[in-house]
Amino acid sequence: MATVTAPLPGARVAEGRRLRVSEYLRWSVDHKVIGVQYMVTALVFFIIGGALAMLIRWELLTPTLDVMADGTAYNQLFSIHGTVMIFLWIIPMMAGFGNYLLPLMLGAKDMAFPWLNAFAFWMIPPAGILMILGWFVGQAEAGWTSYPPLSTMFSGDGQTLWAMSLHILGLSSILGAINFIVTIKNMRPQGMGYFQMPLFVWAILATSIIIVMATPFLAGALTLLILDRVAGTAFFNPVQGGDVLLWQNVFWFYSHPAVYIMVLPGFGILSELLSVHARKPIFGYRAIALSSLAIALVGFLVWAHHMFTSLTPELRIPFMITSMIIAVPTGIKVFSWLGTIWGGKIRFTSAMLFGLGFLSMFVIGGITGVMLAAVPFNIHVHDTYFVVSHLHFVLFGGSVFAIYGGLYHWWPKITGRMLDERLGKLHFWVTYVSFFFTFFPMHLAGMLGMPRRVAVYAPEFQTINIIISIASFVLGISTFILFYNMALSFARGRVAGPNPWRALTLEWATSSPPPSHNFEGDPIPYKNPYGYGTESAWAYLEGLESKFGPSAPTGIKRLPPAPPRPQPAPSGD
Amino acid sequence: MTTVVKQDVLEQELTRDELIAIKNKRTAVTVFQISWIMVFVCLSIVNLQIRSNFPTWPPPGVAALDRVLPTLATIGLILSALAARAGLQAIRLDEAGRFLSRWRVALALGAAFVLLMIYEWLAVEVDPQYGTIFRVMVAYHGIHALVIGYIMLRVYRTGLSGGYDSVRHWPVEGAAKLWYFVVVAWLLFYVVLYVL
Repeated sequence: MATVTAPLPGARVAEGRRLRVSEYLRWSVDHKVIGVQYMVTALVFFIIGGALAMLIRWELLTPTLDVMADGTAYNQLFSIHGTVMIFLWIIPMMAGFGNYLLPLMLGAKDMAFPWLNAFAFWMIPPAGILMILGWFVGQAEAGWTSYPPLSTMFSGDGQTLWAMSLHILGLSSILGAINFIVTIKNMRPQGMGYFQMPLFVWAILATSIIIVMATPFLAGALTLLILDRVAGTAFFNPVQGGDVLLWQNVFWFYSHPAVYIMVLPGFGILSELLSVHARKPIFGYRAIALSSLAIALVGFLVWAHHMFTSLTPELRIPFMITSMIIAVPTGIKVFSWLGTIWGGKIRFTSAMLFGLGFLSMFVIGGITGVMLAAVPFNIHVHDTYFVVSHLHFVLFGGSVFAIYGGLYHWWPKITGRMLDERLGKLHFWVTYVSFFFTFFPMHLAGMLGMPRRVAVYAPEFQTINIIISIASFVLGISTFILFYNMALSFARGRVAGPNPWRALTLEWATSSPPPSHNFEGDPIPYKNPYGYGTESAWAYLEGLESKFGPSAPTGIKRLPPAPPRPQPAPSGD
Repeated sequence: MTTVVKQDVLEQELTRDELIAIKNKRTAVTVFQISWIMVFVCLSIVNLQIRSNFPTWPPPGVAALDRVLPTLATIGLILSALAARAGLQAIRLDEAGRFLSRWRVALALGAAFVLLMIYEWLAVEVDPQYGTIFRVMVAYHGIHALVIGYIMLRVYRTGLSGGYDSVRHWPVEGAAKLWYFVVVAWLLFYVVLYVL
C-alpha cells in the first residue's frame, strides 16, 4: 500500500485567496470564478433533476397511477428530468471543469476570450429557469427527445419554452467550445506540444470539436420545431407533406454525439485520476489522446441506430457496423486505463475509488451499447427499460462518477481545503452499490418487456421496480454525503497545500486556490505530465514544494528523503 | 502572397499580447465559420429530406421558383465578397481611400442582394412545404446577411474617420471573413434551392 499524501496540519489558506461567495454571484471574467459558477449552477440543477427522479421512482413503486395526478404529469416529470440532467447538469458541469482547469493546465492566465466565457455561462441560468417555468404554462411532455407529433401537437406551451431554452443552452455550448479550441490551439506554453498536453485537455478538445460541429444541427432542428409550434409551419406534420422522421434524423445527428460531449470529459478526468493516484505513467498516452478524436469522428456516423425500428432495412446494417466500430476507440481507452493502474502503487483515495467505479460501471454501459448496436437485439428491447439502464450506466456510471472523482481530486485546488476522506469513501460505497441496484435490474425489466416512459405497468414487474426504487432512494440520499462533506470542508477542512496529490500537471504548480493571475511568471511544464516514478519527476515535485510550500503527508507515512535515492522511485513522486 | 508576407512583417510591430489576441480572433472566426455553416447544412438536409417525400419537386400544382433574379443576386453577392477582399487588401497596404471605395461597393452589392431576396421571399407562392422551406432558408440566411452587413457598415463608418491602418485593422479583416461566410452559406442554399 502506497503512501497517502494529505495536507499539512496547521497550514492556512493564503489570505486574499479564500473563496468569497459574493464573488461568485456576479459577472466575472476570471475563468476560475466562471468554472465554479458553472459547477455550482450545475449542482443546483442536479438536485432539481434528482428530485424529479425520486418522484419518478416513487410513482413506480406500484403498478398503478397513485402519486401523479395523471399520465401527463408523469410525462412532464421524466421529460424535464432527462433534459435537466443532460443539458443543465452533466454538460455544464463538464464545462465547469474545463473552464477551471484548462488555462491552469496550459499554464495560461485565462481563457482566450474571458468576456465571451462569462457570457456563455450567464446564458445558462436564464435558460434553466425558462425550462422550469414551463410548469406554469403546461410543461413539455414529449420526453427529452421531443419527437413530433408529441412535441408539436400534444404538448403545452412549456414545450416551446423547452425548445427556446435548449436553443440558448446550445448557443452557450458553442461559444464555450470555440473558446476552448482557441485556448488550446494558441495558448499552450513553450515546450508543450499537442502530445505533451494533459489528457483532460485532449478530451476537452475532442468534446469541443463535437460541440461546434454537432450543436448547430440541434439549433436547426429546434428552429423548425419552434416554427411548427408558433408559426403554423408543418415540417413535422405528415398530413401536410411534413416528415416526423426528419426531427429524429436531425435531432440524433446532434444528440448521439452529445453522449460523447458528456462522456469524453469524463474520460479526460479519469486519465488524470488513474495516473496520479496509481503513481504510474499513463499507459498509451497517444492512443488515449487520438482515440478521443476517433470517437468524436465516428460519433457522427452512428445516429441512425436510435431509429432502427423506423429505418429502411438496407440502412440498418451500415449503422449497426459504425455503432459497433465506436467501441474500438473506447476499448482502446479502457485497456490503456487498465494498463495504467496495472502494477501501480495505487492510493485508494475517494477520487481514485470513483475513478475505478467509473471504469467498472462504464464498461457495463459500453457493453450494453454494443448489444444495442445489434439490430435484432435493438428491435427486441426498443423503448424498454434496457435502454434506460444502458444510458444511465453510461451517463451516471460514466459521466457522474467521473464528476465525483474530479471533485474529490480538484476540490483541494479549487478551495484550498481537503474533503474528508472517510466521508468520501462512504459516499463512494453507498453511491456505487445503490447505483448498481438501481440501474442493473432495469436490464432485466427491459428484457422481460417493461416499456420505458410508463407510469402504469404490468403487476409482474412490481417486485423488480420496488428493488429499483428503494436503491434509487439510497442513491439520492448518497448525494447529500458529498454536500455534507463539502460544507464540512468549508467549515473546518484541512488545508490542502498547493499539490496534495503530488501531481505533475501544471494546475498543481501554483498555490491552492490559485491567485487571480494563476501563476507567478510563465510556468514551465514538466516534460511528461504523467512521468511518475522517475528521479527527474521527484526533483521537479521537490522543486515545486520548495517554491510553493509543503503539502506534506499526515499520519500515514512520511515521504522518503530527497534524492539521491535508490531505484525504484518511491511512491509519492 | 506578397500581401500576406507584408502583413506578417507589419504585425511584428504589435506587442506579444496583441499578437496573441489577433491570433486568437483569427482562430475563433475560423472555428465559428466551420461551426455555424453546419446550421445551413442542416437546413439544406431538411430541404432534401422533405422533397424526398414528394413524387416531384416542386410538388404537383406548385410553381417552381424563378432563377433569374436570384442568380443575378448571387452574382452580386459574390462580387461584393470580392470587393470586401479588395478593401481588406487595400487597408493592409495602408491605402485608406481604396479601402473605403471597395468597401462601399461591397456594401452596395450586399444591400442589392438583400433587397432582391426580400422581393423573392415576398413573391414566392406559399404552400405547406415548398414555399415554406424556401422562406425559412432565405429568411435564415437573410438575418445573417443583415447582421453581418450591419457590422460591415460600422466598420465603414470607423474607416471614414481613419480608424484603421496597415497594422491595426482587425475589424476589417473580421467583417470581411464574416461576409465570406454569408457568401458561402448562400451558395450552399442557392444550389439546394435552385439547382438540385
